[in-house]
Amino acid sequence: MKWYEVIDKIDRRIIYLLLTLFVILPFFIPFTIRQNVMPQTKQLFDFIESIPPNDRAVLLSLDYTPQTMPECHPMAIALLKHCFARGIPVVGLSFDVQAPGLAVDAFATVANTINSMAKSQEDSVIYGRDYVYLGWKSGFVAAVLDMGESIAGVFPRDYFRNSVDSFPLMQRVNNYKNVAITVILSGADYPESWILYPQARYGVKIGAGLTAVMAPKYYPFLQTGQLSGMMSGMKGAAEYEHLVFNSGYATRLGKADTGMNSQSMIHILIIVFIVLGNIGYFFSRRKRKE
Amino acid sequence: MSPNPWIWIAAFLTLMIFSFLYRDNPFYKFAEHLFVGVANGYYIAFYWHNALRPNLFEPLSAGNIIYLIPLLLGLMYFTRFIPKVSWLVRIPIGFMIGWGAGISIPAYFQAFVLKQLEGTIVIPQSFVNTTEGIWALVILIGVVCTLVYFYFSREHRGILKPTARVGIIFIMIGFGASFGYTVMARVSLLIGRIQFLLGPWLGLIE
Repeated sequence: MKWYEVIDKIDRRIIYLLLTLFVILPFFIPFTIRQNVMPQTKQLFDFIESIPPNDRAVLLSLDYTPQTMPECHPMAIALLKHCFARGIPVVGLSFDVQAPGLAVDAFATVANTINSMAKSQEDSVIYGRDYVYLGWKSGFVAAVLDMGESIAGVFPRDYFRNSVDSFPLMQRVNNYKNVAITVILSGADYPESWILYPQARYGVKIGAGLTAVMAPKYYPFLQTGQLSGMMSGMKGAAEYEHLVFNSGYATRLGKADTGMNSQSMIHILIIVFIVLGNIGYFFSRRKRKE
Repeated sequence: MSPNPWIWIAAFLTLMIFSFLYRDNPFYKFAEHLFVGVANGYYIAFYWHNALRPNLFEPLSAGNIIYLIPLLLGLMYFTRFIPKVSWLVRIPIGFMIGWGAGISIPAYFQAFVLKQLEGTIVIPQSFVNTTEGIWALVILIGVVCTLVYFYFSREHRGILKPTARVGIIFIMIGFGASFGYTVMARVSLLIGRIQFLLGPWLGLIE
């Protein structure tokens, strides 16, 4: 068998094995592949930076699922760290059925980390004062449009069944007028629907944290200004982690950054596979013609 | 290694699913069927506790008879299974289409058609910055050429032929970007699982 025929007929299981090795090795061999920050991630970071502390809230729609957790969960954690460190109140909610458990975990992880280092009540992150998680609601379109009138009207109780009116934070966040930006973290087309309904009617500012598969579809919305920033996939999450870390809002980088070394290694491997596959294909074709 | 039995269950189920990469086997089948069953159970319980009970049955039991209307509309969907009264299903479908079209069409035009058109138009302000000006032209050329490629009412001859060719190049660049991002997304999922296996399960990484 000729060399190009061998390349052309590599067993797919060998490719899977190599892929797995290239994912695992970077966790044990310390090296850093430098990541540049893309403009759309910086744009979202800068927008959050421009919100004055203890003023308008960030509405965080956590709509990702366990399948897309490696991409969107680090985004949620980095974004929450950024908001809490700057004293920006956060109101969380979900429209995806699988999201609430992950959302509660993201809030708890960040709040516990900050509170473990806090020296006073002022430094702490307190539920009801600094953040609220409203939980899940059915009927997406009607809900997001009604929230323009009253958020408490759509979510009378939070995820833990407490009355929303009992929270100091929710007494000053009545509707979109009290929201600086809505950031949607999702593996489905929720950001598009946020642009379509509440932005078209109420002019809500929208940012997005998307899985990489969805990102190309959303670039036109960045260009028109309908999106005020975007994190795309694990790379977007890693970039945001870097921005938060470099600004001194976090003491360490997160899981997305750790995963990016594997990501870069895999990309190199896939490029090699594509080049080899094409060489094998062209040589085999030439041989067949002869 | 983790002392948490749930982590062990999650780790073994992950390995069972990955075993499909070698070949189809009973462990993979078991994990797959378990996933379908658990997901269905989760959805039914979730919708009952978070949608049907608080939004319909609790208000009804509190005497709000207005909620009988959505209940009846919902039940009409099931008339499809009774041939004699199956026509009733048209009522809730008609209601949903009417409401959906009314709320979506104006918003769609405003958000997706007019705003995107606005973003394509090149105006003097586009050239305040040279780089942005060049990109504005690239977008304009890309949109026009791609639209020409999808214009099938006339044969692609004369000026239409090279314009459509340029359109194909833009479409291919779009496909390439989508493929690259898709690879990144799928690899991210694998990295997530490996991080789980090496971290919370085996305790080899933080």
